[in-house]
Amino acid sequence: MVRGLVADIQRASLHDGAGIRTTVFLKGCPLSCMWCHNPECISFEPQELFYPEKCIGCGRCREGCYAGARVLCGKWMTAGEVLSEVMEDTAYYNEDGGVTISGGEPLAQRAFLGEFIRLCREKGLNCAVETSLIYYDEEIFRSLDFVMADLKIWDSGIHKKYTGVGNEKIKEHFILLNKLGIPIIARTPVIPGIDQGIAQISRFLKDLRNVKQYELLPYHPLGNAKKKALGQTVVEFPVPTQEYKKELEKYAYIRG
Amino acid sequence: MLTYADRLKAMRETKIRHTLEKKKQNGYTDLDDFGTVPITEDYEMEPWYNSSNGSFYGYEGMCENFCRIMDAHPPYVDPMEMLCGRWRDMLVNYRGDLHYMPDWLKKKPKTREFMKTATNQWSKRWDEQRFPYDDLKPLQEKYNITTGIDGDAHFACDYSIGFALGFGGMLEKIRKYREINRDRKAFYDAEERTVLAIIRFIDRHIEKIKEMIPQEERPEIKENLERMLKTCEAVRYDPPRTFQEACQWTAFFNCASRIYTRDGAGFQMDRLLYPYYENDVENGAIDDETVKFLIANLLLIDPHYYQISGVDENDKDMTNHLSYLILEAADSINIACNLTVRVHENCDRAFLKKAVYYLLKNKNGWPRFCNDKALAEGYMRNGVDRKTARERIAVGCNWMCVPGREFPMNDTVKINIAKVLDVALSEMKEEKEKSTHRLFELYEAHLKKAIDVTARGINLHLDHAWEVTPELVMNLMMKNTIEQGKDASQAAEFYTVGVDGAGLAVVADSFGALQTRVETEKVLSWEQVYEALDNNFQDERTRLILNSSPKYCHGGTVSDAWARKLTESWVKLVRTQEMPAGRQLLPGWFSWSRTIEYGSKVGATPNGRRAGEPISHGANPNPHFRGDGAPTAQSNGIASVQCGYGNTAPLQIEFDPKVAADDNGVEIIENFILGHFRQGGTLININILDGEKLMEANKDPELYPDLVVRVTGFTAYFASLSPQFRQLVVDRFLEGV
Repeated sequence: MVRGLVADIQRASLHDGAGIRTTVFLKGCPLSCMWCHNPECISFEPQELFYPEKCIGCGRCREGCYAGARVLCGKWMTAGEVLSEVMEDTAYYNEDGGVTISGGEPLAQRAFLGEFIRLCREKGLNCAVETSLIYYDEEIFRSLDFVMADLKIWDSGIHKKYTGVGNEKIKEHFILLNKLGIPIIARTPVIPGIDQGIAQISRFLKDLRNVKQYELLPYHPLGNAKKKALGQTVVEFPVPTQEYKKELEKYAYIRG
Repeated sequence: MLTYADRLKAMRETKIRHTLEKKKQNGYTDLDDFGTVPITEDYEMEPWYNSSNGSFYGYEGMCENFCRIMDAHPPYVDPMEMLCGRWRDMLVNYRGDLHYMPDWLKKKPKTREFMKTATNQWSKRWDEQRFPYDDLKPLQEKYNITTGIDGDAHFACDYSIGFALGFGGMLEKIRKYREINRDRKAFYDAEERTVLAIIRFIDRHIEKIKEMIPQEERPEIKENLERMLKTCEAVRYDPPRTFQEACQWTAFFNCASRIYTRDGAGFQMDRLLYPYYENDVENGAIDDETVKFLIANLLLIDPHYYQISGVDENDKDMTNHLSYLILEAADSINIACNLTVRVHENCDRAFLKKAVYYLLKNKNGWPRFCNDKALAEGYMRNGVDRKTARERIAVGCNWMCVPGREFPMNDTVKINIAKVLDVALSEMKEEKEKSTHRLFELYEAHLKKAIDVTARGINLHLDHAWEVTPELVMNLMMKNTIEQGKDASQAAEFYTVGVDGAGLAVVADSFGALQTRVETEKVLSWEQVYEALDNNFQDERTRLILNSSPKYCHGGTVSDAWARKLTESWVKLVRTQEMPAGRQLLPGWFSWSRTIEYGSKVGATPNGRRAGEPISHGANPNPHFRGDGAPTAQSNGIASVQCGYGNTAPLQIEFDPKVAADDNGVEIIENFILGHFRQGGTLININILDGEKLMEANKDPELYPDLVVRVTGFTAYFASLSPQFRQLVVDRFLEGV
């Protein structure tokens, strides 16, 4: 039975699509965005995060940490196991709410993802993924109610510098996805100091009629603590000022 | 010319000023705001004591002191308002109850003398010389029971009786039945004097308005005062005929019943006021804007508990145009407000959306939501018909009542089950074989004793309340009281008495932690646990091992299963407790705002809670019950521990403040409410707080004197809460983010 490496399951998630949703975070992503707010979801292996401020210094780490200082991220689960957690909140989903599979890059665990979505659909759950669109899988996309996809930087060279990969495929996948007729919510994390080409991204997306909404998500440094806990070097980015957000506001839109 | 909006603004500003002044006069109070206004400098109430223990009781004692306190109350007329009347002081303050006593009264030498022999737990509200219960006290203390003995006012008047009679009609009714039941003369004399004191109170308002009119230069305000005068003159004796008169009549009655025993039970507002609204509209006597202003004014005068919406006995939606106006009125004044929306699948969904919208927009903890299906079907299990069950409305912090017919005492009786666990743990310590199974047996045995002694206290109260604290004001609007010459405590049709357990999450998580860490994983031994409890967790690792065990409301945990098992046991033991004279006990889970006080009586518990720390709140989980703090998980957990029978286990929740008052936000909260209710939940109190504002207000409460939080079932001004209680609200908020 196929198992997925799950980083976390967050219930009553109110900001990963419409309605009340359960967000399943899958571990592993081929991108490594410097600002990533879920850095624990990049590696495809289970990892330990260490928060020294929570350590009580008992010296008995090997017997298990109960202080929350050493936290294991990544649990191999079957699609059925994840589904049973998701089903806990069916009373609240109604028509709009449901399940969002995020990450990491959920399409990186293709077999598990397909199986999990199939089980969700059997239960009549509204399904969405949050993806970098580095992968394209028509069968998966066709089984979804909507897709949340990122286009982080317009220029492929800059994209590669900050995320580790170029964006040609991502743009191409946007165009292909648009043809499937599935509603798309496109998003760009706003990182001051990087020439992201948000105006060009906005123009590009406007031509794709199934991009129903283009959201700008202000960068926040909440991922830094997790990066430190993973023993990784933190790259500091400034938080967007009100003025900067205001300046960019005109590029975001909701179609219709 | 001043518009209604200008006047509402001025009224809000006055309210804020009063809140700050009251804080200076009263000190911190972890209580409902009650709608009181500050005491005036020359205010003096001279109590008359008729008991050698220094307190006052019975028809004569209560009546005489009610007349004195009413006569001492200066009239309150604000020319910005359309209604007049406020209250400032209450009889309980003179009967030695430290819980309610404000600082200004504590400072008086006479009060200090009187209070010498009163304690937090044993005040002089009950006449222990005539009705002692020393035999019950050891066990009441042992299990930290809030006894309900002299728990006054926790039932609901039938306002339709008052609306039909007026104060004059009440007098005539009293006089008529005094002739019939001649042996009940003392009762009727006291009731007659009570009504006359209320009429005198109204008359002083009439005089005050008369004094103010010639001095008022703004024509629209002068006209307002003239209309107010006419209204007061109309309702001083006769029943109300117009919408304004019905509101003014309610305001006066509520002032009187608050002063008497702090009664805060209102009525089904959109149903009872609707005939007046309809009639005035038909006659062209009133417009919707004036109706809204009047309701806002009534809500400002006193945060009584009013229910709106719901269905009738035939499942027909009762939501009407006035229901909407009530919501809009509450929005226009936006103060501490105890409106409860009754939710049923047949109810106007647009109305529910609007109610949720105001909750999101104002972030002031109103309205609350109660579930018709669970409450009505639950109450019918007591052998009550559907019509009666439907008439049983939300009129208190956590409780419902059939107006005019029921004497539920709900919210006055509580057993601290964390303390019961404490006792059981101590007993098991001496035994050789230790297990959660054995601990549960001991816990149940002690709980049975605790329920038994609680029941004996309830029966003592029900047998003698009329001789100690007869409800002279509320009796005026109860069925069979005046007719039979009996107090509400004797004449009620239903004695369905609410008994709440407090500390569910502490106990469930304690059993869960012991089962998980000691029995299943064997990470700790029983000896290690007992050592840790005895030394109050000197070893932090041991505490964390227990505390990090999966908790109640996480979903699917051992502690969730324990919470359900504890509920089954609680319901079984409460329901099988024998009661005389058709009395029934209704189990529920609710702690009111006593979590700090209850916690102070309980030693360290196996869930990693240190000795003396607060116990868990109502049916709510302990902090950190899930990493994501999912409100849906909390909702599921609480829905699974409902006790049935018409009492509640409220879902008290702090919701993500980022949920916007837009279509998506409204739908999220609406689905959340419906999801909880579909699973059998009974009552939801939601706080959606502005985090930044809350944190700043916690540092300096006076920055935001208008910040309202829903503490338990009631709302309070954050600035008036004690620092310790403010912190609890902040902690709860942080948990919800």
